[in-house]
Amino acid sequence: MEMIAFGRFLRLGMAVVWLLAGHLAFAATPGDASAYASRTAVIAAFCDTDGDPAAALGKLVEAGVSADQGAREWATQVMGAIRNGAFACGTNGQAVILGNSLGNSPVDAVTLAAPASVPAGMSPYVPSIVMMRKLAVAAAETGLFAADREARLAAAQQVDKFFPLLDPTIVTRAVHSEHDTQVLTVLKLAMAKRGLNSDAREARLAAIQAVAEVPSEAALTSLENFILQPGVQSDPEVIAAAKKAIQGINTWLMFGRGLSIIFSGLSYAGVLLLTALGLSIVFGLMGVINLAHGEFIMIGAYSTYLVERFMQSYLPGVFGAYIFVAIPVAFLICAACAMLLEFFVIRFLYRRPLETLLATWAVSIALIKLVQVLFGSQNVEFVTPDFLNGGVQVSPGFFVTYNRVFAIVLALLIFLATFAVIRFTKLGLLMRATTQLRDTARCLGVPAPRIDRLAFGLGGGLAGLAGVVLTQIASVNPSMGTGFVVDSFMVVVLGGAGSLAGTVVSSLALGEINQFIEPFYGAVAAKVVVLLLIVLIIQKRPQGLFALKTRS
Amino acid sequence: MFATKWMDQSIEFGIVPVLILVTLYLPFAYFAIPASNALHLSLFGINLIGQIMCFALLALALDLVWGLCGILSLGHGIFFGMGGYLMAMYLLNAAYLDTHVLPDFMQYMGASAFPAFWHVFERLDVTVLVTIALTAAVAGAFGFVTFRSRINGVYLSIITQALTYALMLLLFINDIGLGGNNGMTGFTRIAGYRLEAVSTQIGLAVCSCLLLVVAYIGVRFLARSSFGRALIAVRDDEARMRFLGYRTHTLKLLAWCLSAVLAALAGMLYVPQVGIVNPTIVSPQLSVEIAVWVAIGGRGTLIGAIVGAILVNGLKFWLSAQLPSVWPFILAGVTLIITVYFGNGLWGTLKAAASNTGMGARR
Repeated sequence: MEMIAFGRFLRLGMAVVWLLAGHLAFAATPGDASAYASRTAVIAAFCDTDGDPAAALGKLVEAGVSADQGAREWATQVMGAIRNGAFACGTNGQAVILGNSLGNSPVDAVTLAAPASVPAGMSPYVPSIVMMRKLAVAAAETGLFAADREARLAAAQQVDKFFPLLDPTIVTRAVHSEHDTQVLTVLKLAMAKRGLNSDAREARLAAIQAVAEVPSEAALTSLENFILQPGVQSDPEVIAAAKKAIQGINTWLMFGRGLSIIFSGLSYAGVLLLTALGLSIVFGLMGVINLAHGEFIMIGAYSTYLVERFMQSYLPGVFGAYIFVAIPVAFLICAACAMLLEFFVIRFLYRRPLETLLATWAVSIALIKLVQVLFGSQNVEFVTPDFLNGGVQVSPGFFVTYNRVFAIVLALLIFLATFAVIRFTKLGLLMRATTQLRDTARCLGVPAPRIDRLAFGLGGGLAGLAGVVLTQIASVNPSMGTGFVVDSFMVVVLGGAGSLAGTVVSSLALGEINQFIEPFYGAVAAKVVVLLLIVLIIQKRPQGLFALKTRS
Repeated sequence: MFATKWMDQSIEFGIVPVLILVTLYLPFAYFAIPASNALHLSLFGINLIGQIMCFALLALALDLVWGLCGILSLGHGIFFGMGGYLMAMYLLNAAYLDTHVLPDFMQYMGASAFPAFWHVFERLDVTVLVTIALTAAVAGAFGFVTFRSRINGVYLSIITQALTYALMLLLFINDIGLGGNNGMTGFTRIAGYRLEAVSTQIGLAVCSCLLLVVAYIGVRFLARSSFGRALIAVRDDEARMRFLGYRTHTLKLLAWCLSAVLAALAGMLYVPQVGIVNPTIVSPQLSVEIAVWVAIGGRGTLIGAIVGAILVNGLKFWLSAQLPSVWPFILAGVTLIITVYFGNGLWGTLKAAASNTGMGARR
């Protein structure tokens, strides 16, 4: 409440200062006398019955994009007033702006200060529909030189919307001074579309060339509509040039779409890799089918949620880093849960894989219900950290979002860390020994039950990390794990249980195949086809692609 | 000795009279016993018993392959669902004859008549025969490829889970004309009888019980025959059976197809009693639950499967009404205790306790 009141006071104060400053500046600079005269002429053109509003509008736009700050403000105010219906003409050629943002009393349209004499016979100026459109374009054109990139982008899109009415000199000036690629693309396309509309053939050909230089879906549509125009149908050279340009744009778009498919396949593969890694280690080592694996993923996601809530309440300054804090937290929580599960349940079901399956299924439904009771069964909302928001348009048709890049990078890092643990640490050595020759390892003094427990904990922790990554790209609810169990088991079965390389290769293969089929037949059919493919491959090679050579 | 043997034998076969008694009790409980009496069964109760009997038949089918043959299939929902969906197609045909209105999902798809292949299911006897043939064919195809490749154990379980998951996803697609995620409902008549009539409801429940009795007698006969002994031998040591010259994949295939047909028949009786069929019938969760019923009851003992299914589903229906948020914990707890401590299940443990030590030991 206090902030709102303070804001109002601040705005009022600024308005007063501006009024005074404007007035003083006006009075202080004698060179503005000519500007004053031209402004009066512009205003009068609106109010006079035989005045030229279009030309006056042109002058307004000129003022709006000029270097002079005062002129820009004046032009914006006048244009805004006319669009909002707050522009009123008096009988003596004076015009006022009624109730604008500077205050509620009318101000003179030329000086933007309180009128010297109270004007009589005010009647509001009602612009025609054509005028309104021109005003929209004019306002947008003045916005092309704003400091804020978002404002410039919005202005450029508005200019593009009304491209037949745009002023080429101003837009060309904007193109020259613009640095942002996205805004530039929109502006160039708008200019090119306007050029397409012209009657001269040279201008049309030049415009086609210009459109081809900024390939996008919008460019494609505009060229396709252009070809269908009756005036164009009769000109074979123009049609040929347009068709060539369309072909070029299509190639670019296909290239972009192909890259996009590969990229989304990579991110899906990253998710699969994370979810399947822990499972592969546990299954390879103990032959245990853990149907509660999906629930460990879910617990990891909910741990991230708890970390996010905690940091939002107590450490709002570094809130964006909650993902990084959640990584060790989720790993530890899930590893602890997994080790508890092993200690209380799995330990008794050694060498009874089918019973383990049922027991872990029972644990999974209990976990789902527990989380449902604690957190509710609807989706949990996450606030995306700032550095993961948005993305970059690498190529037309290919938009890379930062959260997917993050998922891929994190998946890779986690895989490398796991590989390092398995390959270079003592725990990894003992795990590998127990997997390959369990009884001999036990004879050599390796505590197999303890290794089982630690490996189960590692598997659970990796599932928790998968959950952390999934909070940014998937919806989080108590039953989110059930969707991943079948997929991760397929990855493990195809890649070969216990083999890290197999898990990587199979997750890559499955992710990419899934994304390649999806645009043609839909997501469900893609999943079904992938599942059937795996079943067929397993028939031929039951131990998986990269089977671990064991002697047991 | 004589006493326990006599008891052992009579208890095992005794479930048949028990079930026949239940069958006779159903119409009696509805018509003869007044509503105020505690032994009266409302139509809802009779319907419930019928559904539970279908589940018991499904569990029996799984026990045939798991308990006797050692194949843990976590995808028996596929065959249950096949029976259910094909029966639903017959029921929709019958409903159309009754009301001359196409089902909702067909109207949404813009169809003006049933697609051509639906006309196969216009008669009940043809539907039953086609279901049996189709289920046997699908099961045969899967079993042929799988058992020849010597896939067994957990890999087989995972593959059956994946297949049932794939089928569920397929059935969710609206375009294939089987109702999509809403499923098929709106059944009015079966074999000419009105579905809502009291006699039809009781008749369906009685049919479920009788089918269960017949299936149990048949499967038990099979289990005690040399075929059943061969299956048990395959379960215990398949390699040895192969070395002895038996074609184990053929044995497994036969058992698998029979089990699939039984599951489909259970599905065919389940759908008219529940009034709707939708893709959740082939969900992976239901298929795992079937294995849980068999495990809790006692796998390998055919009665155990029936007892487990009746117990778990009865408890579920009773407790879900009273304490809906506690049921998953209870089921999880019971499953855990049974799998960890009572590996033979309830009935198996009872049997082992009743008979001499060493005779009841099962894996």
